[in-house]
Amino acid sequence: MSDQGKSKNSPVFTRRKFLKTSSASAAALMAFCALPGVSWSVENNILKVRTPFDIATFDPAFGSGPIELMVGSCIFNNLITLEKEKSWVWKLEAAESMKQLDPKRIEFRLMRGIMFTNGYGEMTAEDVKYSFHRIIDPKMKNPYAGDWAMLDHVEVKSKYVGIIHLKQAFAPLWNIGLPGPTGLIYSKKAMETVDGKMTVDPLACSGPYELKEWKPKQVIALKKNKLWKGDKAQFDEIQLFPIASDSTAQAAFESGDIDFTVISASAYQSYGNKAPKNARLLQYDSLFYSWLGINMENPMLTDIRVRKAIQMAVDVNAVVEAAYFGLTKPATGAIPPGLIGHRGKSIIPPEGDIAGAKALLAEAGYPNGIELHLACLNNPGVVAQAQVIQAFLGMAGIRILIDQLDPGTFWVLGSDASLGEKANDVQLYLQRFSTFPDPSFAMQWFTSDQVGVWNWERHRSAEFDKLNKQASEETDPAKRDKMYKRMQDIMELSGCYQFLAYEPIFALCRNTLDPQMRPDGYPAVRYFQKT
Amino acid sequence: MATNGFKNYSIKFSWLSQTWARLKNDKMGLLGFVLVITVVLVAIFAHFLAPYDPNMINISHRLQAPSLVHLLGTDHLGRDTLSRVIVGSRIALKVAMISISLAMSGGLILGLLAGYGPAWLDRIMILIFDTVRSFPTVMFALALVTMLGPSLNTIIIVVVITSIPMYGRIVRAQTLSLKNKEFIWAERSTGAGMVRILAVHMLPNVIGPLLIIASMDVPVVVTIEAGLSFLGVGVRPPAPSWGSILNDGYAYIRNTTWIAIAGGVPLILTTVGFTFLGESLRDIFDPKLQKDI
Amino acid sequence: MVSYLIKRIGLGAVIVVIAVSMLYGMIHMVPGDPLSVMLGPRATPEMKQELNIRLGLDKPFVVQLFRYFTSAMKGDLGSDVISRRAVTTIVFEQLPYTFTLILTGIGWAVLLGVPLGCYSAINRNSVFDKIAGIFSVGTIAIPSFVVAVYSLLIFSVTLGWLPAIGAGDDGDFISQFTHILMPALAIGLGWVGYLARLVRASMLEVLGENHIRTMRAFGLSDRLVIFKYALRLAILPTIALLGVGIGFLLSASVFTEIVFARPGIGKLIFESVIQRNYPVVMGCVLITTVIFVISTTLSDILTVILDPRIRENL
Repeated sequence: MSDQGKSKNSPVFTRRKFLKTSSASAAALMAFCALPGVSWSVENNILKVRTPFDIATFDPAFGSGPIELMVGSCIFNNLITLEKEKSWVWKLEAAESMKQLDPKRIEFRLMRGIMFTNGYGEMTAEDVKYSFHRIIDPKMKNPYAGDWAMLDHVEVKSKYVGIIHLKQAFAPLWNIGLPGPTGLIYSKKAMETVDGKMTVDPLACSGPYELKEWKPKQVIALKKNKLWKGDKAQFDEIQLFPIASDSTAQAAFESGDIDFTVISASAYQSYGNKAPKNARLLQYDSLFYSWLGINMENPMLTDIRVRKAIQMAVDVNAVVEAAYFGLTKPATGAIPPGLIGHRGKSIIPPEGDIAGAKALLAEAGYPNGIELHLACLNNPGVVAQAQVIQAFLGMAGIRILIDQLDPGTFWVLGSDASLGEKANDVQLYLQRFSTFPDPSFAMQWFTSDQVGVWNWERHRSAEFDKLNKQASEETDPAKRDKMYKRMQDIMELSGCYQFLAYEPIFALCRNTLDPQMRPDGYPAVRYFQKT
Repeated sequence: MATNGFKNYSIKFSWLSQTWARLKNDKMGLLGFVLVITVVLVAIFAHFLAPYDPNMINISHRLQAPSLVHLLGTDHLGRDTLSRVIVGSRIALKVAMISISLAMSGGLILGLLAGYGPAWLDRIMILIFDTVRSFPTVMFALALVTMLGPSLNTIIIVVVITSIPMYGRIVRAQTLSLKNKEFIWAERSTGAGMVRILAVHMLPNVIGPLLIIASMDVPVVVTIEAGLSFLGVGVRPPAPSWGSILNDGYAYIRNTTWIAIAGGVPLILTTVGFTFLGESLRDIFDPKLQKDI
Repeated sequence: MVSYLIKRIGLGAVIVVIAVSMLYGMIHMVPGDPLSVMLGPRATPEMKQELNIRLGLDKPFVVQLFRYFTSAMKGDLGSDVISRRAVTTIVFEQLPYTFTLILTGIGWAVLLGVPLGCYSAINRNSVFDKIAGIFSVGTIAIPSFVVAVYSLLIFSVTLGWLPAIGAGDDGDFISQFTHILMPALAIGLGWVGYLARLVRASMLEVLGENHIRTMRAFGLSDRLVIFKYALRLAILPTIALLGVGIGFLLSASVFTEIVFARPGIGKLIFESVIQRNYPVVMGCVLITTVIFVISTTLSDILTVILDPRIRENL
C-alpha cells in the first residue's frame, strides 16, 4: 500500500483534499481508507525526506550539524559543491568559474543575477568577502575558523569577481572550506542588520529554495525560490521531517508519508531483494569510519603487550558481519577509500589470532586473563558490535563489561575539561567519526594536542604530529598519500587503535526519485532529481 | 507448656490448610498459583532448563525463525532465544521481588504513619511522596543511571524510589477512610496503643488492596525495566532480561517478529499469574467478604 | 475548607521548589554538555568554555539556583542553548500535543475501564467477570511501546488505515483525530485494565461495608445504592491513583512520541536530557512539576469532597 503520488497519472482527488472539502465523519473516513488503491499519497511535486533530528539554527557556518547544512545548502549557495564520481570532485554552484591562479591565490567569478529574497538585492563579490571574513574574524569567535585558517583576505576586483588570498598553500580548502558549511555565502546587508549572528530567521535566501515555515520538531518546509535563475528547482516544496527512530521512519516510508529515508543495515537486509512497491533499496559509501579505541594511559593498559593482545583478539570480519550483515568489508585505517592516503591493508590481519593474544597476555603478566570496561553509545547496532567484541576478547581471557551510555555521557568520555582526572578511567571504547573528503580532516583528531579533547586514546607521537602538519601543506597528491599512510601505520603500531569498518549508508527511495548524497552521508536534497 | 505448643501448631496448620482449600476452589486463583509456581521454578532451575548457553554468539545462524533446533529461533547475534528467555526469568523475578518488597514495605510504613498519625506528619509525608512522584521517571532514571552507572542495582533503586509514593498514597487513603470506623473508635476508647491498633486492625484491612496492587505491580516493574532497556539505560549487555530481549526484538522487528513475541509473552504470563493469585489471596484474607458468598 | 485549599496550594509551591532544585543539582552533577553531543568532534574546548560562561555555570550552585528562580518568577526560563529561542516558547509549543494525547488516552481508559470494573464487581465470579479479568490483566502487562509498535505495523503499514507519523495538520480536526488514535491507544490500553481492576476491588470492599448493607436492608434499590453511594466511595482510591498517574503517563508519552514521531513534552524532555540542553530540561521539569502538583491537589480535593468522613477531620 505504498504511494505513487509523484506519477503524473495519480488522482488529484487525494485523501487530504477530500477531508478538507467535506465534513466526513470518522466512520466515513475509515470506510474510505479501506477502499483498495487509496493511499496517504503525497501531493504532487512535494519532496518529503526524513532527517534523524531537527535543526537548531539557520546559520550552518556557526557551530552546527549536518541537518543545518542540509537545509543551508538548499536555501543558500556555496561557490562550489562536491559530487561523487569515482571519488569526490568539485563542481560549480554559485560561481561561474574558479581558477587557481597560483598556490596562494584563487580567483572566483560569480554567476550574474543571483538574488537574495526580502529585497536584499543581488549577490556580489562583497557578499563573498563578508561571508568568508566573518569566519576568521576573531571577534566572532567562530569555532570552525580552522577551516579557513590559511585565509589571508578576500580581494574584491569587480562586482562579480574576487580573489581569495591565502597565507600559504592549502589543499584542504577545496574539499572542506569552500564546499562546506563555512563556505556558504550570506547577504552582507542582511547580516549587518543582526550584527552578523542569525539564528531562527535566515533573513535572506539565495538558493533554489527558500524557507516556507519551520514547525520545531515537526517539519521544516522549504518552497521554490522564484528569484533563483540557475538550474531549475525540481520541486515546488521540500518537507523535512525529523524522525529519531529508524523503525518509525521505515514505517512512514512504507505507508507513504515520506519518499526518502536512510535506514539501518538490519532493515536493509530484512527486505532481502524485495524492496517495497515502487521503491528501491540503495547502498552508498560514506565517509564514516569506526574503530575500537584503547586508552594507553589507563593503569591497566600501559603495557603495550596488553594493548596488542586486545588488537589481536578481535576478529574484525565477525564484527563487521554482525553489524553490517556482510554488506561491507573491514576497515584498514582512518581514511576511507576514495581519498588520498587510504591504506589498502592493515598491519594486523582482520581474522585476529586468539592464541597469540593469550600468549601475549601471559607474557605481560596476566596468565589468567584481565577484566576491562568497554564503553559505547547506546544504539542497537553499536551495542551488537560491542557484544561480538566481548565474545572474542572473552575467548582470549579478557573479560569485558559493556557500559552502554547515553549520548550526553558518551560524548565527554575522554574529555579532560568535563571530567578532569576521571577522563583517564576510560579503558576501551567504540567510536566513529565522519570526515570531509580531505584526509587532513580525518587525521586532525589524533594529534598530541588533542589528548584529553578528542584523542581519548591519549596517544602522543612526535613523528605523527610532524607528518600531519607537513601533509596539509604539501600539494603533491602522491607525497601526501605516503605521509597519511605512514600516519595510520603509526596509529596501529601504538596498540591504541583497532580499525573496524567504513560504514555504508542504506536508504529507501521512491522509484520516481533520483537522489544524490553528500560526502558526510546525508542526502544532498538540493540536487535530487525526478526520474 | 507442651499442650499450649500443640494447640498453637494445630491452629497454624488449620489456617494454612483452610487457605489452601479456599484457593483450590477459586479457579482463577488456582491458575494464578500454577503460573507463579511455574515461573518461580523456571527461574530457580534456569540453567538446567536452558538448552544452550544464552550468551553464545553464532553469527552465521542469526535471526532464524523457530525450528526444531531452536524452538523460538535465534536473535541478531545467533543466540538461542528460548535459552535467553528462560534465564531472563531470573532477572525479571529478582528485579520484581526485591524492588516491590522494598517499595511496599516502605510505602506501607510511611502510608500508615501518614494516615493514622498527626496531621503535621501527614503533611510531611505527602510532601515527600509528591516531590518524588513529580520527578518525570525518565529523567530521574537517566540522571541516576548516569551517576551510578548502568546496571541491575541502579534499576532496582530507580523502581523502589519511584514506587514508594504510589503505595504510600494508597495506604494513606485507605487508612484515612478506615480511621473513623466504629471499631477503631471502640479500640481507642479502651485505651489501645497506636502500634497495637495499627498492627492488629489497620494492617489486615489495608493489606487487601495493597496485595492486589503489589501483584499487579510485578508486570509494571518488569515493564519499567523493559522501558529503561528500550531507552538504552538498562541492564548490562549481554544480560538476557526480558526487557532487553523486547528491545532487541523491536530493533529487528522487520527481520523477525519472534524475538519481540518471545520477550513479551513471558511478561504477560507472569502478570496474569501474579494478579490472579493476589486477588484470590485478598478474597481469602478480607474478613468481611468471608461471610458473603 | 478554604484553609485546607490554601494549605494544599502552599504545599504545592514548596514541592515545586524542592523538586526543581534537586533535579537542577542532579542534572548538573552528571557529566556531558550540549555542544559535545550535537557537534561531536567539531565542538572545541573554547566553544564549551564560552557556553559555560553564557549559561552562568561557572558560578556557585546556590547562586545559579537563586538566579534561576528569580527569573522564572518573572516568566523567563532562559533560552535554548543552540537556537537561542526562549524556553517558554519551546515548552508551550509542545505541551498541547502531550496534553491532548494524555487526556485522550485517559479519557477512553476511564470510559471503558470504570464501567467494566463496576459491572465485574456487581456480577462477581460470573463468566463476564472472568473474561473481563483476563482481558484487563492481559492489557496491563503489554508495555505501551509494544502496543505502539504493533499498532504502527498493523494499522499503518499493513492496512494503511492510519498515518504513521506526526500530529496532523493544524486546524484540520479529522487529520489530528486520525493521528492521535494509535498513540492514545498505546497510552490508554494498559490503563483500561488497571482502572477496571482497581474499581472492581474498591467496589467489592465498599459493597461489603456496613452502611451499604444497611441501605440495601432498607430496601433501597440495588441500582441506586451502587451508583450513588458505592461508586462514589469506590472511586476514591481510583482518583488518588489518577492524580499520581499523570506523572506516569508523562513518562509513557515519551515512548509513544518517539515511536510515532509526535511532537510533545515527553520527547522534548528525553531529547533535552540526552543532549544536556540544560535550560530546556529545567523548563520542562518546572512546568511538568507544576502540572503534576495541580493534578494531585485536584485529586486530593475531589477525594475530600467525595468522602465526607475525611472532611470532618479537617
